[in-house]
Amino acid sequence: MAVEPQSSHKPQLVKDFWPRFKRGAVFLIIGLQVLILIAIAALLSSSGFFKDNPLGFTATLVAQSILGIVASLVIYRFVAKPIKYLLAALVHVAGEPTNSTPPNPNEAHFERSGLKPVLQTVYQLASDIKDPIEEGRETRLPTPVGETKPSDTLPKTDRTPLETALDETPAGFVAFNNERVITYANKAAPLRVDTAGTKTLELLFNEHDNLFTWWDECEKSAVHAEKIWPRIPNKLPNEEDRRFFDIIASYDKGASSEVVVTLIDRTYLYSVEEEELDFIAFAAHELRGPITVIRGYIEVLQDELSDTLKDDQTELFRRLSVSASRLSGYINNILNTSRYDRRHLNMHLSETTLKAVYDTISDDMSQRASSQQRLLTVSIPEDMPTIAADTASLGEVLGNLIDNAIKYSNEGGLINVTAAQKGDTIEIAVEDHGIGMPANVVSNLFQKFYRSHRSRETVAGTGIGLYISKAIVESHGGTISVRSEDGHGSTFIVSLPTYKMVADKLKASDNKNEQIISSGRGWIKNHNMYRG
Amino acid sequence: MALKTILIVEDDRFIGEMYVRSLKKAGYDVDWMVDGNDGLIAARNKQYDLILLDVMLPERRGSEILDALRGSNEDLIPHSKVVILTNFEQDDESRSAMEARADAYLIKAEITPSKLLAVIEQLSQ
Repeated sequence: MAVEPQSSHKPQLVKDFWPRFKRGAVFLIIGLQVLILIAIAALLSSSGFFKDNPLGFTATLVAQSILGIVASLVIYRFVAKPIKYLLAALVHVAGEPTNSTPPNPNEAHFERSGLKPVLQTVYQLASDIKDPIEEGRETRLPTPVGETKPSDTLPKTDRTPLETALDETPAGFVAFNNERVITYANKAAPLRVDTAGTKTLELLFNEHDNLFTWWDECEKSAVHAEKIWPRIPNKLPNEEDRRFFDIIASYDKGASSEVVVTLIDRTYLYSVEEEELDFIAFAAHELRGPITVIRGYIEVLQDELSDTLKDDQTELFRRLSVSASRLSGYINNILNTSRYDRRHLNMHLSETTLKAVYDTISDDMSQRASSQQRLLTVSIPEDMPTIAADTASLGEVLGNLIDNAIKYSNEGGLINVTAAQKGDTIEIAVEDHGIGMPANVVSNLFQKFYRSHRSRETVAGTGIGLYISKAIVESHGGTISVRSEDGHGSTFIVSLPTYKMVADKLKASDNKNEQIISSGRGWIKNHNMYRG
Repeated sequence: MALKTILIVEDDRFIGEMYVRSLKKAGYDVDWMVDGNDGLIAARNKQYDLILLDVMLPERRGSEILDALRGSNEDLIPHSKVVILTNFEQDDESRSAMEARADAYLIKAEITPSKLLAVIEQLSQ
């Protein structure tokens, strides 16, 4: 009886091989035994043994066939068993329908026979190849014996239980390899796939503080690092299905997934705050009304009473007016911070001079300094190149820096505001000779709500002034930095590109603005202007 | 051209009186309207050298008044200057639209009457 050939139109399956192999082996054993039997019978009869002792002849043949078959089967079992297990594992790895259970490498007899690492390798190779998002990763070595987690060694069907579980969580998980390509992302992760099939994270980070700027930093200086970004939206305001995430990234130098990003959906929390933006705008309006009246009438009164006021009374009026002007500056800080955090902060850049910007706040500043017994000297040359500036916002930055210089210096202290051209930039320095700060404070200075331990105790404030100043300066395409020595004062340096350097970009973005504004997204323009 | 006649459209009584007082003292002829409708009618009926326009107004918003006076078709007040005076944080588009049609845009809390006088002085030149 011949082995039936596999019909050609049927797809070849891994699981079909074993029955076929087994049948072939049985036929081979029986056939060989029959041949051996015939050969022995022929040999014995030709030597006359059959004639001399027919009973002995028959007994020999029977014993030979029984022993031969038993021996063959024992050898067959020993040799074929590993093949059987390997095939069973392959059937499962291939994902073919089967009733058999896959061999579990953790069973003791596999360990004894040494088949365990073989099976593990099969499963491991399968998980590397089969998982499409893991493609391109270097093949992992089989897990060392004894250190295997059951979840690693269980055969894979379409998805591992871990992947299925990850797809069910509302948190997003994304893994990047060291070429910054996304190698894994679960369902909840906000992804964008372009026409070439490249996956990117659909997130609107701050352009100066995003995943990749952080990654750049890590590559330079870190082995392990973690960072959290709160309230990152995936879409622009007014776009459908806008969501907000808190984002946690971890970096491991040299790992196959160099950066793993976890995203926690906080839309329910932050979308409420989004609506509060309106509230803040209205609240600002309500607060500014009384401030307008207070500032105005202080001035009117001081003016009309100037002949009768004594010196100390004039000083009281000055303090009133300084306080009211600081209050109004502070409302602007709050408004701008709330807009910046929600990505609504916009700069209206136009060609002007630093001198013209400072002139708008100059009176307030001299008054503030003199009412607190500081000596403010300002030296801004008039003939410097023009800059592209939002006068009101840049004025607030300078106001914040001078306010800080006043706060962190002593009575009678000298505050110098100077400006100079440095190549293609204009540098403004605000220098005080006050308490200064140690290096560890400097690095945190521009963070929101950051206040040094010392200033918490001695100076009032909330820590948003420098935070929003940095945001405004960067929206101008500039930088802000600080030089400080503990006990010897600080110098804040704002560096802005000259108008000539940004004029082309500005014009290009102006042209774009018309389209952007007409589609209802006017706020995006300042974010794009200096991107790349 | 020296500015002489000024129309103030301002609903806050304290602020309105404050500006009227300072401007009159500085020698200007000042009319003051409290709501948006009256403001628009006054601006149409009489030629002012300068209009100080609030944004959040009863009856008719400052932006609507500016639209009506300097809409796309025709400038009804070719001989007047317009200064927007507001404390409201307008969204960007509305603000840009008003800035384009006005001669200045100021936040009231950031200026005192003397600053306003300085701005008017600048516009006169």
